Amino acid sequence: MRRTARPLTGIALAVAATALAAAPAYGASAGGLEVSPASVVPGGQVTVRTAACGDGGSATGDASAVGAGSFSLAPDAHGQDATGRFRVPPSAQPGTYEITATCGGSGRRTTGDLVVTLTSMRGQVHPRGSVKTGVGGALGPDPVQTAAGVAALAVAAAGGTWLLHRRARGDRI
Amino acid sequence: MAAVTVFALCSGVWLLRDGSGAHAPPQPSAAQARAGLDGRAGERPAVPALPPAPPDRIRIPAIRVNAPLTGLGLTKTGSLDVPPAADENLAGWYEAGTTPGEPGTAIVAGHVDNADGPAVFYDLGALARGSTIEVDRRDGGVAVFTVDAVEVYAAKDFPDEKVYGAARRPELRVITCGGGYSRGTGYQGNVVVFAHLTGSR
Repeated sequence: MRRTARPLTGIALAVAATALAAAPAYGASAGGLEVSPASVVPGGQVTVRTAACGDGGSATGDASAVGAGSFSLAPDAHGQDATGRFRVPPSAQPGTYEITATCGGSGRRTTGDLVVTLTSMRGQVHPRGSVKTGVGGALGPDPVQTAAGVAALAVAAAGGTWLLHRRARGDRI
Repeated sequence: MAAVTVFALCSGVWLLRDGSGAHAPPQPSAAQARAGLDGRAGERPAVPALPPAPPDRIRIPAIRVNAPLTGLGLTKTGSLDVPPAADENLAGWYEAGTTPGEPGTAIVAGHVDNADGPAVFYDLGALARGSTIEVDRRDGGVAVFTVDAVEVYAAKDFPDEKVYGAARRPELRVITCGGGYSRGTGYQGNVVVFAHLTGSR
């Protein structure tokens, strides 16, 4: 039984690895090892989670590829997933590293990819497009307002002229 | 008639004066554009990066900017949100992104104007290469950036990767509206200041 299970597990792992390679941005895959964040800077903390060990299952994690050694995965509050944490050494070099977890009971092994970058990527979504940072309030006056101002001044000029004329006539008398 | 004349004179002067002091915000000249094809490629960090820490304040002495920073997210369309326009002396930073001083591209945005007149980054387009931008951080430190380029980009053809894309060294972008204005569609683009970390204290 064990003899047939091994190659099958190998095939499953190969399929999982292919799936991971196809989607490097995401550490998670069904039944695999979810690595969060999937991309981390040296010195950053990483949480891994897997449902592969069954209810209440624990596991031993291996992050020695990235220089973080082994760590343990304990059942979470719901008891369905095993989770564990480790810290990427500050000296870690950029690259993609395979993190593994081996279930305590079944010995089942799951893997996930961790990408170490020098640039912080913490799930970063970059903004897109231009930014709406102005309404034109600093620009010249409204043309309507300008027209109204000119009209008002024209009225004033006409009124002033009329007043001066009247005064001039009055003076003459 | 005298009263009408005086009223017309006063209102005319008031209508014309209100805004006569206003001008279009300064726009960067070609001399402030990025030197070379793409200055970022192969550039080495000038100073060691800082650990992540959220920023509190931005100061750009050359254009008399000294403003608090608020956290910004994204709009539904994926563009960077903006700070509340009512406070003319408030800028924002993209808090889901890189914090100013750590490796990567930190993004700060602020209004060029609001309905009442000029706002925090009104003079951003007048900034010159080599100017200093300081960011106060919540860890008590100050990240000091030096301006590499001041560019203006049309909204229609905005170079997302150039402006927002990842960088290996600590970089900063300061963004405001610019690039011409039309009454129908508003500002036609953005003024973008490119800077990189050159010191800290």
